Amino acid sequence: MAAPSWQELLAWIYPVPPSPEEVELARAIKPGEYEIYTEKLNNICLEAKEVFVRCGVASTILAGDNIVGLYSADGDLVTAWCGTYLHAITSQLPIKYILKYYRDDPSVGINEGDVFYVNDALYGGIHNGDQIAIMPIFHEGELIAWSCAAVHEPESGGTDPGSFPVNAKSRYDEGLKLPPIKIGHDYQLHGDALEMIANMLGRAPRMSILDLRARVSGADRMRLRIQELARDRGAEFLRGLFRKSIMDAEEGARKRIRSWNDGVYQAVVFSDVYTADPALTRIFLTMYKKDDRLIFDFTGTSPENLSYSHSTAAAAVAHAATYIYAYPFWDLPISCGTFAPFEWVFPEGTVLNPTPTAAVSNSVGIDAGVMTVLPIVFSKMMFSSEERPLVNASSGACGPYPLVSGVNQWGVPIADLHSFMMNSMGQGARSDKDGMDNYGFVWCHPGRFTDVEEAENEWPVFHLSQRTLPDTGGPGKYRGGAGSELMLVPHHVPYVVFITFGSGGSVANASQGLFGGYPAPAVASSVLVKNTDLRRRMPAGGQGVPATIRDLAGQKSLKGEYEFRGPLPPTVCGQDDIYASARGGGAGYGDVLERDPRLVIEDLRKGIITPQAAREVYHVIFDPDSLTLDPEATECARQQERENRLRRGRTYDDFMAEWLQKRPKEEIIQVYGTWPDAKPVAPVIRL
Amino acid sequence: MTRKVQITEYLDIDLEREMWCCNRCGRELISARTSYKQGCLVYEREPRDIYNPLVDEAFSFAPNPDWLRYLEFYCPGCGTMIEVEALPPGHPTTYDIELDVDALKRKCSGGGQE
Repeated sequence: MAAPSWQELLAWIYPVPPSPEEVELARAIKPGEYEIYTEKLNNICLEAKEVFVRCGVASTILAGDNIVGLYSADGDLVTAWCGTYLHAITSQLPIKYILKYYRDDPSVGINEGDVFYVNDALYGGIHNGDQIAIMPIFHEGELIAWSCAAVHEPESGGTDPGSFPVNAKSRYDEGLKLPPIKIGHDYQLHGDALEMIANMLGRAPRMSILDLRARVSGADRMRLRIQELARDRGAEFLRGLFRKSIMDAEEGARKRIRSWNDGVYQAVVFSDVYTADPALTRIFLTMYKKDDRLIFDFTGTSPENLSYSHSTAAAAVAHAATYIYAYPFWDLPISCGTFAPFEWVFPEGTVLNPTPTAAVSNSVGIDAGVMTVLPIVFSKMMFSSEERPLVNASSGACGPYPLVSGVNQWGVPIADLHSFMMNSMGQGARSDKDGMDNYGFVWCHPGRFTDVEEAENEWPVFHLSQRTLPDTGGPGKYRGGAGSELMLVPHHVPYVVFITFGSGGSVANASQGLFGGYPAPAVASSVLVKNTDLRRRMPAGGQGVPATIRDLAGQKSLKGEYEFRGPLPPTVCGQDDIYASARGGGAGYGDVLERDPRLVIEDLRKGIITPQAAREVYHVIFDPDSLTLDPEATECARQQERENRLRRGRTYDDFMAEWLQKRPKEEIIQVYGTWPDAKPVAPVIRL
Repeated sequence: MTRKVQITEYLDIDLEREMWCCNRCGRELISARTSYKQGCLVYEREPRDIYNPLVDEAFSFAPNPDWLRYLEFYCPGCGTMIEVEALPPGHPTTYDIELDVDALKRKCSGGGQE
């Protein structure tokens, strides 16, 4: 057997067609029972998630960047606690693989008490870091369901520490690649399988195995509760309940889609995510809406390249799910039925559907573009519908994300992501309010970041700064939520290795604004300062010790060797070195001249924006000392700006005649594809 | 039939005249069967007007204009900023909203979209 084709993986996202008997079982579920027992399933998911989180140690688990999901006997998603919706979608795929290839294979088989494990994107995962524990659930000898628990493991045994080997050029550089494999039977984990995994994840074996056991514990708690429910209500009842959840989601999704305006909606986003150095690529989406169907066509997306920034087609769909389940279909069951009205088009040879040898460990970086174009096309379709309150500009989705590797102050080898920078993104502005500042993680909306104290207990670093960064939310009538900054210094140990991987945004925006709002800024730069005089200054009262990244980078308040970068390749840092990085916020909504000037003053008082932005972007006039608004002068300034726009604006044809003659520098578009339509230039050959 | 339907924050469609119109001042922009952007005034914005660099470096904690610019689309009647699009220099604009006008007219007349 071989890894499934990308077409087969996409097909497995859809619900398995029900038998007539199953439809009858679904119809037999009474209205009151349906509400009670679907809520019971959700509570079971929640309980299993709590078990999962309390058993794990990686920052990604503590942040809630995980799922525990319930799947039908056929492998269809019934419901999940999220966490990150993308794992809910992808966990269906290895289950369906196991059912297809292992059910009748006596050397493997599917039996009560089995535990399967998978992380390879070619078999349905997202990228190496994302590991999934899978358990079949039996009742009276019959397979009735599956449970899954998934979370990103920060170490995956590749060419570089962590789970984002920035130097990987093919899948063979990325470390652990498990197809669905049985790591336990009869409710016992196989010691040899765990030893193999620990051996392959040797930079952080303790964390890796504890987290593996945490996944299995979460999946097993789900298994236990579903078996109790089956004993209480019977397998037939559960089968009908599962199918009804899927059917209801599909029916609800189709009804909602039908209410939106037919048409073709288009969005493009440009990213600089590539390797440790940036290069321009684009994600291009044309969405066709007709009756109750939606076709998502990514033709026009940049071709694959020799970096680690690719995504499988199925992983791209999973990233779409993080928006689809959270916004336009937020009130439907988190089941695969919602996806039934969709069709997906991913041309082969693009960064969203590369050849199987491609490195995909930064799939999340390139898929940030998918999560950015989805809100744009949906918002332009939904504005004139009942879903207007769900209209939003894209949320912050750009890095860099620091990873700390080495031996910590307790003598334990570690390789862990700093969850603050992941989970402190700004939310995109909405049609009626600002985006939330530092709201969470666009991959995992309810994600929470670790406190400084938590982080300093686990990792050998201290934090010079962990805070909101001004002017990072896209300006607009409603402002995008602000992003953040982080400054780390090695502590307690002679050295650590800092690495960051990027999701773009260090030189080019990874977002688009909405209806006249500005994109979120490209602030995802970082600065490494080696051999500073920080330790000499701190005992002397701290004069010159930077409180913000603006102090450090802008004023160079410490002596040292400054290097400004996007992502940071693996770099050994000692106690006199500082690594600081920033991340963007959400995009803005609407014309800045329509923003209530009182909100601008409020943002100033909170330090969310700078006085310069208030004056020059929002055209608000105020007393610089008291921050008192001058309403009349503001109205005059804004009227003047409207007149300036009419003066400087050119007709479309006149403007385009000149604009289309321009072209970015060749080094910027080295892997973009042909200009400007992003078609492949030459085959990509990997060793 | 409803004469105007609001499609975005700043754009209406006049169903009888089949025209994009500014929602704020009512100015007719262009045929609803083409991109509304073609009926707007356009301005190329240097992104560092909006976001100031912290340092004078290639990685400056601000957008690099060699990589992307902001195209601002204004209503030619009242100067409202209808849309902003971040594009590399010379990249064509998207045809972001191409409505099925006939289906919209049927829907608004109570006939649904079939």
